[in-house]
Amino acid sequence: MPERVNYWGIPHEWGPPEYYVYTIMFLAALIMLFRFYQRARIWWKVGRPEPRWDKLHIRLWKLIQYGIVQIKVLNERYPGIMHVAIAWSYFVFFLGTALATIHDHFFEFLYGNVLLAYKFVLDLFTIVFFVGAIMALIRRYLQKPKRLTLNADFTFSLVMIIMIVLGGLVTESLRLAFDQPEWAWASPAGWAVAQLWIVAGASDAALINWHLGVWTFHLLSVAITIITLPVGTLLHSLTGPLNCFFSELDKPTGKLSPIALDAKGNLVYVNKLSDLTWKQLLDGDACTECGRCQDACPAYAAGTPLNPKELILNIREALRSDAAPAMAGNAPLLVGEKIQADMLWACTTCGACVNVCPVMIEHVGAIVDMRRYLVIEGAVDAELQTALSNLSRYGNSFGKSDRMRARWSQEIQPAIKDAGREEVEYLWFVGDYASYSPTLTEITQKTARVFQQAGLDFGILYKGESHSGNDVRRAGEEGLFEMLVENNIKSFSGSKFKSIVTTDPHSYNTLKNEYPAFGDGDGEWNVMHYSELLDQLISTGKLQFNKKLGYKVTYHDPCYLGRYNGIFDAPRRVIEATGCEIVEMPRNRERGFCCGAGGGRIWMEEGKVTERPSESRIREAVGLDGVTQFVVACPKDVTMYSDAVKTTGQEANIVVKDLIELVYEAM
Amino acid sequence: MTHILVPVKLVPDLVEELQIAGSGNALDMTWLRLIISEFDDHAIEQAIILKERSGGEVTVIAPDQEGMDDVLFTAAAKGADRITKLSGDFGEGFNNHALARAFASAVEGLAPDLILTGVQGNNDLDGSVGPCLAEYLGMAYVGYVAGVSLEGGKAVIKKEYPGGLIAEMEVALPAVLGIQAAEQPPRYVAVSKVRQMMKETSIVEIDAGDLDPSGGLDVSRMYLPEAAERAEMLQGNEKEVAARLVEIFKEIGVI
Repeated sequence: MPERVNYWGIPHEWGPPEYYVYTIMFLAALIMLFRFYQRARIWWKVGRPEPRWDKLHIRLWKLIQYGIVQIKVLNERYPGIMHVAIAWSYFVFFLGTALATIHDHFFEFLYGNVLLAYKFVLDLFTIVFFVGAIMALIRRYLQKPKRLTLNADFTFSLVMIIMIVLGGLVTESLRLAFDQPEWAWASPAGWAVAQLWIVAGASDAALINWHLGVWTFHLLSVAITIITLPVGTLLHSLTGPLNCFFSELDKPTGKLSPIALDAKGNLVYVNKLSDLTWKQLLDGDACTECGRCQDACPAYAAGTPLNPKELILNIREALRSDAAPAMAGNAPLLVGEKIQADMLWACTTCGACVNVCPVMIEHVGAIVDMRRYLVIEGAVDAELQTALSNLSRYGNSFGKSDRMRARWSQEIQPAIKDAGREEVEYLWFVGDYASYSPTLTEITQKTARVFQQAGLDFGILYKGESHSGNDVRRAGEEGLFEMLVENNIKSFSGSKFKSIVTTDPHSYNTLKNEYPAFGDGDGEWNVMHYSELLDQLISTGKLQFNKKLGYKVTYHDPCYLGRYNGIFDAPRRVIEATGCEIVEMPRNRERGFCCGAGGGRIWMEEGKVTERPSESRIREAVGLDGVTQFVVACPKDVTMYSDAVKTTGQEANIVVKDLIELVYEAM
Repeated sequence: MTHILVPVKLVPDLVEELQIAGSGNALDMTWLRLIISEFDDHAIEQAIILKERSGGEVTVIAPDQEGMDDVLFTAAAKGADRITKLSGDFGEGFNNHALARAFASAVEGLAPDLILTGVQGNNDLDGSVGPCLAEYLGMAYVGYVAGVSLEGGKAVIKKEYPGGLIAEMEVALPAVLGIQAAEQPPRYVAVSKVRQMMKETSIVEIDAGDLDPSGGLDVSRMYLPEAAERAEMLQGNEKEVAARLVEIFKEIGVI
């Protein structure tokens, strides 16, 4: 019967092998834990407190999903398979070693078929591991994608983890070559390698001696890897899962935290390491440098100074260099030093980085926190300053009179109800762009006509509406955001309605996710995007079409509608209802590519760019076979993409349409 | 310590359509929205820059117009040490002579070393506040200033001339300067800072007494530009156009 022989072939002259094996491993683990503690204590000693210890069972589930099963890692095929092949193998090896220890000291169970199954699984994962390792070698040394950090630290880690598994495999193969048991087939990888030694005609003495040597090498390589883990790139195997464990739970991604207060009750404007929360510092240490955020980032693609990966790694670098002075109470400046203002301003807050990060790093929150510091210092560019001044004075970024807000509605008959005076079912929050931008007037008017046609009981606030503040908040002007929210809530309170509907995903996001924190409690409004409302009107038969348009179109997911609020299907259903065929762009749904206007970018100086995100997007759409229309569901998108169609010279190939234009045409 | 005084005022915000009042000789104040005079905003900025560079104290003083509190708190948030409001009958409009007299009477108690004010305002070009104030106080006045630095008891100023010329000159303090532009555009001040100032600072009120507008102009009629006859575009090649021009010059008798 197959039996496990502990420390096979290891001489006992120096005492039982487990004594020194355990001593070495215990010391290695101790050094590892101490080094990790030194690293981890910085997060809590330097970082500001932030409650992330609630609902531990849900957190544990997140750790399993994202840290162990690694479902987000698997979102990309090649690197996903590569990484889980390596990681899962190591989890299995770790488990195998633990089981062996249990067998050796506590409860013997590894014999017979159980042992064969145990050996088989471990051997299988040895093969799986090598598949992953070879993929990693190809990726790192042949493919060399731009987003990877190609440095010696990663080479060291890769070499060490390969050496460990190789050492284990060779040890096993030498033992099998010596013993040649009849159940050797249960260790297919080991048995295959053993054939080498058998064919070579290695003597028993040679096998035993080599076995001892390779076994010792294996033992030491494990010890070295454990000891160096907290100071090398493998640190992510601890911090990554930990970061998933402590990730945001209940807060919608579209809800930013207000400016934090310190112990004395003063507002914290983040400009140095000690102003960030411990979780934001952990983000810095959790980064695996995989570069997925870099690939997804519109600001990076446009050649702006922002690279989300670099931003997070700059926080890590600051953790190394600034932690000691920070703990002594004088942290050096971070903003303007390791993190430049132009990096922070380049962010469109589209959330693509947060969405793709396999270890759930929260880039956008940290960026906005640091922007808040720049704003309070008055360090804003001239265009943003003008927009913010206009917003604070007139409630709109256009610098026009608030009395002109509903000027577009003058041609609409019958006149649109003033929701501030009469009760309506739907309060239409028109938003700045749809109200003031001359190029959008026609679309806004069509929206009104569609609503009227569908017999909707709706009204607008006329001059009672102010900018929703979504992007004011994301630009870092929290005080102005609060002021705009107060203005709008005052108008809401003075009107009677059941739901708010808006065409603007940015307004939608803040009205839905952020306004409730400012209301008096009874102002719980149901907020709808017009795509949801249209979808509802169509499915209930209130909105009927006479025509099938028959266009081949593509649909662009607005960041604040799709990625932020998960509304992907409603607009697609509406498009299909008008009789159009949708051809998806490669970057669709959660991976939708930002137009470049979000987070206040639309108000800022553009700076130097290689290719505007909106231009990249139009080129993506033009590449689709037979697509003639680029459908959007956001007023700013109409402006952004109409410009991009012109600047890329694609006027003859594609035309930008708002969702409502299709609906209007099909009626 | 140098004490810098900045008298400012509000002017009509041109974002709104301007209406002529029923009297036919003034703007209709009912629909008017007021905004700080752009040049006064620059004067505040220049004062703050001077304070940051050479120390000193900045007092901003303004007539009690609707919306002035916000302007004063904003100035405080930018770095003004004191904000002062002249209470008086400023609601129905006033001319710069009346305002300058009111400022002058308040200034005596404040003893400033330097007075910076906007070189002009969009609602009153006939006699700017600066020169009037200098006259009433018996101080020197330099207008169209685009840069100031303080050296001992003197101010070294940059004055802009047409054609891109800049003159540098010295003026003994105390003096009044009409600011054309601050050295940097007026800074942005976050709303929360202004709101914090509203809690922490208070506006000092000084009674302006009765206003004396004498010396100002009487407006007999105010009206929007009236459409004139359209220009005639000359068609044809160079020679034809030239020939027609000569004809026209002869017709109107200039040659």
